[in-house]
Amino acid sequence: MKVRHELLLVVVSIAMVALFVACAPAPTPTPVPPTAAPTVVPPTAAPTKPPATTASPTTAPTAAPKVGVVYKIGFISAATGAAASLGVPERDVAKLVADQLKAAGGIVGPDGVKHEVQILIFDDQSSADTAATLARRLIEQEQVHVLVASTQTGTSTAIVPIATEAKVPNISMASARSLIEDPQTKKMREWIFKPVPENSHSAGKQAEYLKAVGVTKVCHLYENSSYGQDTLASANAVFPTAGITIVYSDAFDPKATEFPQLAKVKASGCQAVVIGAIPPASPVMNVAVRDALPDVRIVHGHGSCSPDLIKAAGKAAEGTVMPCGKILVADSLPDSDPAKALNLKLIKDYATVSKEPISTFAGHGYDALQWAIAALKTLPNGGALAEQRAKIRTALENLKDFPTTHGLYNTSPTDHLGFNASEFAFVVVKDGKFVVLPKEQWK
Amino acid sequence: MGVMKIEWLDKLGKRVATYWLGIVAFLMLLGLIALGSRYNFGVVEYAQFVLDGLRAGAIYALVALGFVTVYRVTGVINFAQGAFIMLGPMMTISFYEQGWFGTPALDLFTGALLAIGITTLIGVLVERLALYPARRTLPLTKVIITIGAYLALQGAALLIWGPQGHVLPAFTTLTPADQSFRFAGLLVKAQSLWIWGTTALALALLALFFERTILGKAMRACAVNRMAAQLMGIRVDMMATLSFAMAAILGSLGGIVLGPVTRPTYDMGLDLALKGFVAAIMGGLVNFPVAVVGGVLLGVLENFWAGVTQAGFKDLFAFVVLIVILVLQPYRFMMDSPTEVEPT
Repeated sequence: MKVRHELLLVVVSIAMVALFVACAPAPTPTPVPPTAAPTVVPPTAAPTKPPATTASPTTAPTAAPKVGVVYKIGFISAATGAAASLGVPERDVAKLVADQLKAAGGIVGPDGVKHEVQILIFDDQSSADTAATLARRLIEQEQVHVLVASTQTGTSTAIVPIATEAKVPNISMASARSLIEDPQTKKMREWIFKPVPENSHSAGKQAEYLKAVGVTKVCHLYENSSYGQDTLASANAVFPTAGITIVYSDAFDPKATEFPQLAKVKASGCQAVVIGAIPPASPVMNVAVRDALPDVRIVHGHGSCSPDLIKAAGKAAEGTVMPCGKILVADSLPDSDPAKALNLKLIKDYATVSKEPISTFAGHGYDALQWAIAALKTLPNGGALAEQRAKIRTALENLKDFPTTHGLYNTSPTDHLGFNASEFAFVVVKDGKFVVLPKEQWK
Repeated sequence: MGVMKIEWLDKLGKRVATYWLGIVAFLMLLGLIALGSRYNFGVVEYAQFVLDGLRAGAIYALVALGFVTVYRVTGVINFAQGAFIMLGPMMTISFYEQGWFGTPALDLFTGALLAIGITTLIGVLVERLALYPARRTLPLTKVIITIGAYLALQGAALLIWGPQGHVLPAFTTLTPADQSFRFAGLLVKAQSLWIWGTTALALALLALFFERTILGKAMRACAVNRMAAQLMGIRVDMMATLSFAMAAILGSLGGIVLGPVTRPTYDMGLDLALKGFVAAIMGGLVNFPVAVVGGVLLGVLENFWAGVTQAGFKDLFAFVVLIVILVLQPYRFMMDSPTEVEPT
């Protein structure tokens, strides 16, 4: 009897598990790519024949016809783990760029010599330790010319001292300012670059808009996370320069169900509410603000420019405005924008390597790799590896009007990002879609 | 060492202790209104705080009822309650959007019923598979087991539904564009009426169940004295399972009615469970009416507090209350309060 009883329980529990699986949304969303991840790690990406290639830079035959040394880019992203939803698109785009390079037969240097370019793709599993180990291995064993690593601020930070010590340029795909700028000395970190805009740029674009529409008093509501606090710090730094005062600001908990902050928003008499959050927090506050104050202007940050905002906030999102990376609104950019063609082509190509819709993260991976390739293209053939790495660093510091998914970048020795807030697209939510809002229509 | 007992003082003390919740809450409210005077809030703002707080409070009360039900019958503090709260709305959304194994999308009501039914089954399984085999262990072990069950269910939910927030539509729409009543400057969401109605109905049904049915009386008997109940022929194990099923129903119901006013995520449960726990502990985890009153008061005061200070401090309130109650244990002095449940 007893045995049968327990058997029944086992059967029922299996049925429950089956049911759980059945409940899952049909096309399972991004996280956890269990099968894809292992295959991408070293073997497939790198058809390595290390000794031969590593020896060649120094012994580059002068009589070589047209083919020079092989260039190596070490690419690390978080293809698994907590940041997989960011790292997987980055990895996919790296595969895409590797395929494109292969199809083109490599790149041609200023001296007309052709070089094969290998992208060695690795997964740091969203772990700083793994990222550091991989970076060391890529630098010392694989002798890469340049690193593109990694997805998160934490993993990228772990690579900073390694790259700096080894004097290897690293292009990060994370957004934190502290990666490229030492927070204490306020000086650029010599070997670190990133093509990813920050909250301060978002705030700059918001200020530009608010000023244009004549808003002088705003309320700032931010999610209680380090991201949210950073949006407030950025707004505090940028808004006053445009003559905009933050008359009230407070944090909110994305899981809260009632928001007494709104009584103070009402009392403060601000003309616009800036929401410093990303989904799923930003749609929650969007709905609450819209309920309590049906007519107030709502401005989001660039992190909210994602279909998740519209999906979760529904009608309340209508009419809200925000800065946005151009890749997400490529369709509705004006034809005169050089980023339009670039983004449309990337979106089309990306569809060949991934079934997911394009995200800004794929754009960040693409931009970082394009920076690396552009720098490699400036190298004349020959010279020691250390010398070549130094030359790549110099090239990365001198990108002029460089086209990326975000628009044109201008780097310099004092700016390893080179992004101008005006390169953000500014969008409005209209009929459940993000639509570019040209300056003429700001009112 | 004998302490001189003055009878009338002792009586007064017990009387005060019985109404301590109300007295303390009233004093707090006065203090908070004083704090709020800095902001020039009018009656409308305060009334809005109370209204919003009542909504949260009703949910805390439902969750607290789940805690008390399980604790009285089994002596276990059931943190898997948090998972029940989350599973209700998440499954309802799945059924509403995708239907049940390929059927067309279900309507909200059927979806919610199915979700409650499945959550109840899961509640039963948690008790049978995780707690029943450990029935002879220390209460602390059982609490840890329920936390484990919570984490397992939350992890499963993350795999199934992903980290993003989902949308459960409001049950009733007054006008398509606006789901709120507005009068005299106040804003009442239509969903709030559903939440209050559901809580009231759940309370009434629970009261009927415990007062008027044999099963309910058997459960109460288990709570009062487990050994005696067993000697009377009551199957104590079954009662434990039943209490988990009831907690699952209360939790998932609370989560579902709350769903439309928030954006349900896989990790929404723990916060609500902890607030419900604070409400339940006000009555020493054994007193149903105090748990309900406690939940409602907690919701109102917490919202008031967040309104007159920084909203970032909101959670601080509930947990300071929790610590104060755990240290002072005021429920021990209440009149006619059931004594603490003896662990098996």
